[in-house]
Amino acid sequence: MKHWTEGFDDDDADETLVRPYTITGGRTTPERDDLALITLVTTVSDAFPEPGRGPRRLQPEHRRIAVLCRRPMAVAEVAAALDLPVSVTKILIGDLIETGQLRARPPMAFAHANGLPDMEILKAVRDGLREL
Amino acid sequence: MGYANSDHGDTAPLAVKILVAGGFGVGKTTLVGAVSEVAPLRTEEYLTHASVGVDDLDGLNGKTSTTVALDFGRITISREVVLYLFGTPGQERFWFMWNDLVNGAMGAVVLVDTRRLDVSFASIDFFESRRIPFVVGVNCFHGVRDRAPEEIRKALDLDPQVPLVLCDARDRRASRDVLLALVDHLMAAHSRQATPGS
Repeated sequence: MKHWTEGFDDDDADETLVRPYTITGGRTTPERDDLALITLVTTVSDAFPEPGRGPRRLQPEHRRIAVLCRRPMAVAEVAAALDLPVSVTKILIGDLIETGQLRARPPMAFAHANGLPDMEILKAVRDGLREL
Repeated sequence: MGYANSDHGDTAPLAVKILVAGGFGVGKTTLVGAVSEVAPLRTEEYLTHASVGVDDLDGLNGKTSTTVALDFGRITISREVVLYLFGTPGQERFWFMWNDLVNGAMGAVVLVDTRRLDVSFASIDFFESRRIPFVVGVNCFHGVRDRAPEEIRKALDLDPQVPLVLCDARDRRASRDVLLALVDHLMAAHSRQATPGS
């Protein structure tokens, strides 16, 4: 005789994860790993994601991202605006990059063991901060 | 690395980031909010980590998932550069494992509260071990400067080269000056590197 708890395990595991990952069609990790928190993403002009078109069915969240990113936005900003975890947001952004509707500018990479930010960037940041 | 089409992303500025660390309640989000051009934004991430010393349930592969929140702000430096400030509300031991947060930072500000210096020890250790340049900002709540900078430096066992600045995290100018101290520190390190042996 089956105990009443049998089969419950899957449903109970990580209950809070269920909804966000429904939006991604069950995917939990981005297919690309080169999106960082401050990668700036911009909607390609004229791109307008149609629901249900493209290789993957687009969700309303995809559409919101395309609207938000008419001006460049960091991945973290998109996640905050959508109120979704960063990893879920990265999956959705990855979809739109794949279909050519978003383009990404990776942040400057600093290797601290042997390198420092470019002097020109440092000067720009210093001057900008002084004007605050 | 990078996207095939990222070469065309020249309409987007270049993003850089500074981390604002320190223990719980030292004023990280306050500092971010003081200098940010937008109200601090909050986002979160699920981190998966080995659950050492925790009773594991079968089928979970010894991994535990933790939600870590992050407060951040933005300063548009110029048309070409935008600076993001990332502060972490508590739970230090988890955000140290968030590689995406730590990687690629220009440097960090470690905020300390003179009444509870110990809550910021972990941050200082972390940046020292990862060789990420940082400055220490002493958050003088309500103008209370009860300890001399040298005394704080000693208590934190700070490297003589690491700048220590007094500030009020609620004040825009004072908070900006902490960030400027970090940039100056980075520029000084740059000069030292350019002239080896000096």
